[in-house]
Amino acid sequence: MNGYIRELWASRELLANLTMREIKGRYRRTILGQLWSLINPLATMLVYTIVFSFLFRTAPPVGSPSGIESYPLFLLCGLLPWTFFSTTVISSITSVVEGESLIKKVYFPRLNLPLAAAGSAGFTWLIEMGLLAVVLLFFGAWTIPWLPLLLLFMLLQTMLASGIGMMLAILNVHFRDAQHFVAIALQLGLYLTPILYPITLVQQLAADRGHWVVDVFELNPMEHFVAVFRSLLYDNRWPTAVDSLWCVGSAVVLFAVGSIVFVRNERNLGRLL
Amino acid sequence: MSAPAVTVDNVSVRFRLYHERNNSLKSAVMRGRRSVHEDFEALHNVSLEIPAGSTFGIVGRNGAGKSTLLKCIARILYPDSGRIVTRGRMASMLELGSGFHPELSGRENVYLNGSILGMSRRTVAAKFDEIVSFAGVGKFIDQPIKNYSSGMYVRLGFAVAINVDPDILVVDEILAVGDAAFAEKSRQKFVELKAAGTTIVMVTHAISNIRQMCDSAAWIDSGRLVSIGDSNRIADEYTAAVGLGDDQQQR
Ligand SMILES: Nc1ncnc2c1ncn2[C@@H]1O[C@H](COP(=O)(O)OP(=O)(O)O)[C@@H](O)[C@H]1O
Ligand SMILES: [Mg+2]
Repeated sequence: MNGYIRELWASRELLANLTMREIKGRYRRTILGQLWSLINPLATMLVYTIVFSFLFRTAPPVGSPSGIESYPLFLLCGLLPWTFFSTTVISSITSVVEGESLIKKVYFPRLNLPLAAAGSAGFTWLIEMGLLAVVLLFFGAWTIPWLPLLLLFMLLQTMLASGIGMMLAILNVHFRDAQHFVAIALQLGLYLTPILYPITLVQQLAADRGHWVVDVFELNPMEHFVAVFRSLLYDNRWPTAVDSLWCVGSAVVLFAVGSIVFVRNERNLGRLL
Repeated sequence: MSAPAVTVDNVSVRFRLYHERNNSLKSAVMRGRRSVHEDFEALHNVSLEIPAGSTFGIVGRNGAGKSTLLKCIARILYPDSGRIVTRGRMASMLELGSGFHPELSGRENVYLNGSILGMSRRTVAAKFDEIVSFAGVGKFIDQPIKNYSSGMYVRLGFAVAINVDPDILVVDEILAVGDAAFAEKSRQKFVELKAAGTTIVMVTHAISNIRQMCDSAAWIDSGRLVSIGDSNRIADEYTAAVGLGDDQQQR
């Protein structure tokens, strides 16, 4: 394991280059180029705002103490982290299958493939969250002092997504159905995580059906990440201790398990692909 | 004599040939998780040593297991039994232009490919002009690589790979790259590497390469080591066995 870490560290330039390859290659030959990475979430935001805010009249909570009240901004604080999570899990899985020709021809620590997938998705996410913080500032939420914590939790969520992605990448090498299952699960996940609606909606539901409904919702680490991002950006207050612990715990555990599973199995990739 | 650069000790590699592979969940469930396969032994108890600083050739028919052996040495495959020890930094040329991205420019791809092969950015920068002039791609270097002719593509891949400066270089059947002039230039490059003390392990179908470039050689057939020793002797034995002259190349 020690030897592997040393080798991984020695290949950090490769990781940077593979990440750049993803970022640069993605929008080559499009007129709008990198702007697409901003247009896509904005378009999604627009669709959900029309459906949930205008048609279903979902009321956004009032940010406290920030005082802002806007469905699109409330939505983006959860939607951008979710989109990143989903992109990272999927692209980590496909990075291994798509890296087949490399894996069969050159030796390098294979962990670089899913890590580069997470890195390139993270790059886009960083820009999106930065712009969101600026827009929130413009609408009166004092986001600036919360930016360091925001970065910390973004790093933690990257670890979570990457760890899950690494595990599923190995599973997907054995069963190629995995990536299609995961894509569906992630679509469901968007609705089962309080992103399009506030968690208070679930709590109201739980008042009739019993508290277990909320308990089940809170087993989802992404629920806690979304809560933390909303505290930091939308409300401008400290995240709760419970949410923070969930974030740190799930990120550390899943990243550790994911990378161990991946490294244990990467020797076989040359045969299995 | 110093320690060998590569020690292959009793190495066997078995591949699973699936008749009906459980590559999807449906088939796994339908057959109760049992997939139908047989084992195929691509290498059987192969042992050999490659002295440091020497050039070692591997010959054999198609499907003999040469590439499998190289992949084991290059840590792309891990043997099912036996052991491989290598001493020194290793680079492999099993394919040229590994990881080239068609939409990126030649320049960007040189840096990308260089780092895939284990070169630092600084090393690539220092050797950049040499790489470009060796590949002879000229002003195309800033064009997306998908606009390259296939000759330019492999020449650029070769130029990067040959500049890695490893202690051990593993080469699979790529010496016939480009036109006659380029082939001569590459041969020259191998002579320089050898003079600099690099251990070279090469699979080649050109018996003339075995005679001219290699110190010793091994002949592999059906995953077994048939004969190993002086390159001229192996070349003689192999050509006698397959009934080909030197200049006829088996494909
Ligand atoms: N990944 C693999 N799965 C199954 N069989 C393989 C695999 N790779 C190689 N083989 C088989 O192993 C044998 C040796 O292949 P190889 O080492 O590529 O031969 P060559 O001497 O032509 O380079 C061949 O019969 C080939 O079909
Ligand atoms: Mg071969």
